[in-house]
Amino acid sequence: MKNRARLVEVLHRAESGPITEEADFERKLVSPAIKRVIEKYKIRFDKSTIVPSDNDLADRLFQAGLQLAVEVGMYCQSTSRRILWTRAELEDGLRYCQREVVMGLGTDAVVVRVRRPEDATVPIVSGGAYGVPIPEHLYVPLSLSYLKEPVIDVIDNASLETVYGHPVKAGSPWEVLAAHREAELALQAANIAGRPGLSLGCVELSPTALGALAGASWGAYRPSDWHHVGTLSEFKTNYDMLCIVTHVARIGAGLEAYYNPIYGGYVGGAEGVAVAIVGGLILLNQVDMGHVYSTRPNHPFYNCDTTPEILWAMSIGVQALTRNTDLLIATLAGPAGGPGTKTMLYENAAHAIATTVSGQAVIEASHSAAGGRTRKHASGLDSKISGEVAHAVRGMSREQANELVKRLLSLYEADLPTNPIGKPFDEVYDVEKVEPTPEWQGMYDEVRHELIQMGLPLERIVHEER
Amino acid sequence: MSKYTQLQASLTELLLAEDVENCSAWTRNALQQGVSPLDFFNEVFTPAMAAVGDKFGRLEIFLPELIDTAEKAKAISEQVVKPALAEAGVGGGGPRGKVVICSVQGDLHDIGKSMVSLMLQVNGFDVIDLGINVPSRVALNRAKEVGADILGLSSLMTTSMPYMKECVELRDGLGLKDSFFIIVGGAPITSKYCEDIGADAFGRDAIDGVKKCISLMEKRP
Repeated sequence: MKNRARLVEVLHRAESGPITEEADFERKLVSPAIKRVIEKYKIRFDKSTIVPSDNDLADRLFQAGLQLAVEVGMYCQSTSRRILWTRAELEDGLRYCQREVVMGLGTDAVVVRVRRPEDATVPIVSGGAYGVPIPEHLYVPLSLSYLKEPVIDVIDNASLETVYGHPVKAGSPWEVLAAHREAELALQAANIAGRPGLSLGCVELSPTALGALAGASWGAYRPSDWHHVGTLSEFKTNYDMLCIVTHVARIGAGLEAYYNPIYGGYVGGAEGVAVAIVGGLILLNQVDMGHVYSTRPNHPFYNCDTTPEILWAMSIGVQALTRNTDLLIATLAGPAGGPGTKTMLYENAAHAIATTVSGQAVIEASHSAAGGRTRKHASGLDSKISGEVAHAVRGMSREQANELVKRLLSLYEADLPTNPIGKPFDEVYDVEKVEPTPEWQGMYDEVRHELIQMGLPLERIVHEER
Repeated sequence: MSKYTQLQASLTELLLAEDVENCSAWTRNALQQGVSPLDFFNEVFTPAMAAVGDKFGRLEIFLPELIDTAEKAKAISEQVVKPALAEAGVGGGGPRGKVVICSVQGDLHDIGKSMVSLMLQVNGFDVIDLGINVPSRVALNRAKEVGADILGLSSLMTTSMPYMKECVELRDGLGLKDSFFIIVGGAPITSKYCEDIGADAFGRDAIDGVKKCISLMEKRP
């Protein structure tokens, strides 16, 4: 990829940037810089508007994020140095970013293209259990529950809870073995579903470079699958992450780089999360050189991204980036609720509306608080709702989206603190047939009907060419 | 509003304001107005800190403000309250307990653990934060070395959870079971997992973690 020509320069700057204590980086650089740019660019959250349609606010936010990225850079924990870039370098990186990418092979391949706010095209739908721990015997049926949904274009996988019955221990041979086993099972599921070329997200929850590199080796995942590299909150990387970046660059594979700021943490409140999303994803383009840049901010107590404050931050953050750059932006739905709850369906619908009309190129669904906390809490319908809604809202105005999201919030916001984990996969699906139970399907159909009543054209058939 | 309630409200406000110096000066002034150091500590300082913690629990303030408050509280305690208690010849004013805290090996998540660390500090614990990706032996050795009451272990990933089990097994195997408690927390951790690996307590989040540490301290001989 053309934007990876600076790989050696990235690695060099991680060895030669200014030395800083890690605690000082977050407290003395990131926090004050975010407060300063919020003030300077007058970024304000107004709870009455969850999906803003204020272009000037989006453009000011972009400038605030760019300034933040220039001021703080990214911190490399392994070298205790900041990886810094000038404004001109960051702008150059944005100017020549990857603005279109093919994911997958053959007839299963899809093309990710840049979208803008209120875009009439449909985003790519990435479905999957996004790292939810799952026992080996359920891995293929769970994967199939997503693969069977035609609305899903690419997959992001669950995490194996064990490998051949043994715990997967970070930084050990078990992590390597689990990566190979994950690839084996994920490819098996894709073949069974008749979608062998579909792009698979790999390796989920690889805590060190070992799993990710093993999963990107011969016999495991393919260069046509999509690899992941994370950012340590806030604005931090390390040798493990840079090893993944380096390896994926050299095998020419797709890479999703993600950054999940913590609401209420060093970045502060809604405004801080919005600025951090913009600054963070600009830096990921520069340092990780991915093809898609994703965010899933996290609420520190509910572990979700569907509160009004975080939805607002994601919506305006995505607008800032898609109005001012050609980056391929994604957001990951992070509901508090789990499978078998209406709460989760409402949350994922709200997330899909708020972020799709804001211009994201890929919608990712989902990694729930329930799934992060409780094994086996994920199912195909969790992603299907996001995909269906993302298709329905193409071309919708942000004003209409705002009204819909507010209505949905009134249906689920009070449930967020109640930890509505729902039920595990094998209680909401018939595992043999890989079909939702009548109860779970019935709940889905009820919510779908409610959404249609609200004015979402979910029953529309024709859609534009991608 | 009682005298103490008024003072507590004023101190809470000051702790959340910008000026660090004001806090110590204000405390000295309060003590000069006839409030005994012990009453100040029990009826004003501790509840004011708890009020700040509650504000964070409701996300009315954020992590940077919580850090600033913890630092101001430390200054008040070190510069004014402790010397005043010593001068008055009374005990108290010391930490509730000593906690060594870290994210276990393989886990690079920092912020959740830092939130717990700060919430413990504003609630009167002496906290030693070892950071992230800490090998089991390093955590155990440090807890032993500093005479910790509690070792707090955080893991946000299933792949680092085995190191929590390893930590508990090593503590018990090395004959340190009676030396300090182990509390575990993090997104994938449950009370059942805590029980299964033989840890002493499970903190669901930062607020619950503080409650559990207070309960553990009540069990200390």
